[in-house]
Parts: sequence; C-alpha cells; structure tokens
Amino acid sequence: MELILPILISGTAVAIAAGYLGSFVLLRRMALVGDALSHVALPGIALGIMFHFNILIGSLTFLVLSVIIIWVVEHKTKLNVDTLVGVLFTLALAIGAILSSGEELLDSLFGNISKITNADFWIIIISSVAIVLALLILTRKLLLNMISKDIALSLGMKPHVIELLFLLIFALTVAIGIKFIGALLMGALVIIPAATARNLARNFKNYAVISVFMGAISVDFGIIIASLYNLDAGPVIVILASAFFFLSIFFKKR
Amino acid sequence: MSILEVKNVSVSFGGQMIIDGVSFALEEGESLAIIGPNGSGKTMLLKAILNSIKYSGEIIKTGARIGYVPQKLDIERNLPLTVKEFFSLTRTKKLNENYTDNHVLEFVGFGQEYANKKFSELSAGEFQRILIAATILSKPNLLLFDEPTASVDVAGQETVYELLHRLQTKENVALILVSHDPSVVYQYANNVLCLNQSHKQVCYGAPREILTPEGFKNLYVSDHDNHHDLYVGDYNHHHH
Repeated sequence: MELILPILISGTAVAIAAGYLGSFVLLRRMALVGDALSHVALPGIALGIMFHFNILIGSLTFLVLSVIIIWVVEHKTKLNVDTLVGVLFTLALAIGAILSSGEELLDSLFGNISKITNADFWIIIISSVAIVLALLILTRKLLLNMISKDIALSLGMKPHVIELLFLLIFALTVAIGIKFIGALLMGALVIIPAATARNLARNFKNYAVISVFMGAISVDFGIIIASLYNLDAGPVIVILASAFFFLSIFFKKR
Repeated sequence: MSILEVKNVSVSFGGQMIIDGVSFALEEGESLAIIGPNGSGKTMLLKAILNSIKYSGEIIKTGARIGYVPQKLDIERNLPLTVKEFFSLTRTKKLNENYTDNHVLEFVGFGQEYANKKFSELSAGEFQRILIAATILSKPNLLLFDEPTASVDVAGQETVYELLHRLQTKENVALILVSHDPSVVYQYANNVLCLNQSHKQVCYGAPREILTPEGFKNLYVSDHDNHHDLYVGDYNHHHH
C-alpha cells in the first residue's frame, strides 16, 4: 500500500482538477473538443520519448499550441473550427503513431501510473492546485460567458479572453492527466464525473462538488482495485466512473 | 445629454447587408422601440450596440452602463443553476448596496421562494422576468430588451412592458425595446425606429407621428422580391 500512496495522492489531484473543469465543460457541451484536444498531445509525448525530455512538458507544449491555433482560427478567420479540430486531431494522432513505438503509444493512449516519476508527482500536484484556483477565480466570468456571451459583454467582460484562458486551463488539465490515465481516457475523466453530478445536483455549487467527488472516488478505488488485481488503472477508473454515472440516472433530479 | 448615439451604422455578413445605415440618439431615461418584420436586423442592431458583432459607422456611448436581456441563452436552460446563483453572476458589487435578491424578485413580481428555484423549473415567461431581475442587479442606465418571438407573459401579472416602463420611470433607465407588437410601442416608447425587410431605417420619431397606416405600409412592404425575403428571416440564428 505504501508504494501506491503517491499514486493515490497525485491521482486524486488530477481527478479533482478534471472533475471541476468538467463541470464547466459539460455546461457548454464542449465534450467533443475536449476529447480531440487530448489526442493532440500525442506528438508531444512521442517527441518527449525520442529526445528524452519530460513527456508532460512535450504534451503541454503541443496542447497549448493547438489551443492557440484553434482560438486564433475561431476569432480571426472564417474557417470552420469543428473541421479544423477534426483535422488537427487526426494529424496529431498520425504523427504520434509514426513517432512512437507500439508500447509507448499504448502507454500514452491508456496511461501507465507505474511510470510516474518524482518530478511528475510534483508537477501534477502544483498544476492541479493552479487549475482549481484559476477556475475558482474565473467561475463568475466563465459561467456568465457560457450562459450568454452578450450578457457577459454588456457587463464589460471580454469573452474572447475568457475563452482563451479556459482553453489553456483545459490544455493543462489534459496534460497532467495523460501520464496518469492516458490521452484516450482523460476525456472520460473530465466528462463522466460531471455528467454524474448533473443528474444529482440541486445547484451549481453542489454540481461542482459532486463532480469533483465522483472523479476522486473513481480514481482512488480504480487505483486500489487495479493494484489488487494487477490490472491497468486507467480503464478500471473509467469503468468505475461510468458505473457511477449509470447509477446516478436512477436518482436523477429534474 | 445623449447616453447613446448611433450614426450611420451598417452590418453585413458574407456580403449580405443585415443593417443598412441606421442612425438615432437616445437621451437618459428615454425609451426607444425598434420595430420591423422578422429578419429586419433588430436583434443585430442590439448586438452592434453591445459590440458583439462588427459594424461600420459610429456608436458613441456616454457613461452608459448597459444591461442586456437576450431573447434566449447561448446554452439550453436545463442547467444545474439556481436563480440566486445566477443573480450572483450579474450583480455589480459597487453600485447596489440597496439592491438585494429579494428586492429585484419583488420588482418583477416574484416571492423570495424563487431564489432557490433551478433554471429548469421556470416557465419561459418566468425566466424572462428573472433575466430582467438579474439585469437590474447590474444597475444599468441603458437597458436593451430583445423580445422573444413567442409571447411568454405570465398570466395575471403586469406585462413585461409595464414592468420595464416602471423601471424607466423609477430608476431613470433608458430603454431600447425590440418589439413585434405595435401597440406596445404606442403605449411605452418615446420614440420608435422602424427597420424594413431590406434592413433599412424607414422611420424614426414619436409613435403617433410614425405609426400611421401609411407608415406601416412602408415598413412591411419590401423592395426585394419575396424569394429573397425567405432567407432574410433566418439571420438571427446564424451569427454564432
């Protein structure tokens, strides 16, 4: 058990950040963007492995880059963003596949918690705290901007800037989740706990808290079960989170 | 003094004119109704004033604190968000020590129990009043009200227009109302501005001077062919 304690701690940190972020993502039905975004990290991961630098840094670089490209395209050109996200995602997946070996690719797609280093641990903890703080500070602006961009504008907010900040927070969250649960499954850790919370919540505060809680217990029990039965943690976490979601349907509030 | 001056403002999307050369001025505490057929650019004119879309021409706001009541939200209304939480998003901290949730709820005709209602528990008419209440919390001196296409009033209460009129007279809030209903305009607006189907300003002045049978004919008869007008009706949904 001692060996998995750092993993449990960093896993909980990722889950809290992802669960909180998810409660915003789900409001805006940005689920698909989030999913595509997590795949964009793959070339960064592959480059990190090839040139021996931290893959977290590599994936974050690619994520931030794509977020900025998406944002610029959305606001400065007339190109269709959904199409671009689709193209970027497939391109990134293809480049990632060419650059990495089979085993590495599997690790980056589904995560490998046994490979979390001391440096990773601290990067994950510090980033998670930063993500939660940033979301707390921006809550009012993020919510109002999602509810009605024009109301936000009328109150002197800057919707474009808020959107960019949100996408950057999104990118950082995906980056810290990739080593842990993998690029394919990180989207699930953002979306599923929030979807569960949405079925149970009475108000927004409640919704964010339940989302964080659902994420955390899925990750913690997932890691424990995986270590007991010698399974990969990522898939177990997602299966648990999905089980909670299906249970929540029976308790659904209007 | 004019709180808002709009000078020769035009908006176009993909080569199509949405608003073609609109000019007007609004004094403090005055109300202006914008009328015209669907797709004539009424909502877009509000969005230009909000700086939400690109326009040519000049829009000068002098000391204006804008409150905006949209036709609909950007997302579906089945949010896990209560009325109280929504109020906390629009409340302006500095300006309104005297404004509490209960005050604004009372102003729009609701009891305190509405504070804990979720968005999904409100009818369309109730929700519109909540939007107005939330706007009051930001203490605007210029309120832009975009009337939903479908009538959504709550039975047995004062109309939304009476409510807005009360806001105008009590708080000296200038109003711009987008409306489909000429009788509303007649009762509540100091001035009226008409847009026709080819997005041009075809009248501007006091309602009793403007809303003559002849004026209406100008407004609803288009100088384009009917075929074109079918498309114009959809602009409101396309700007995102």
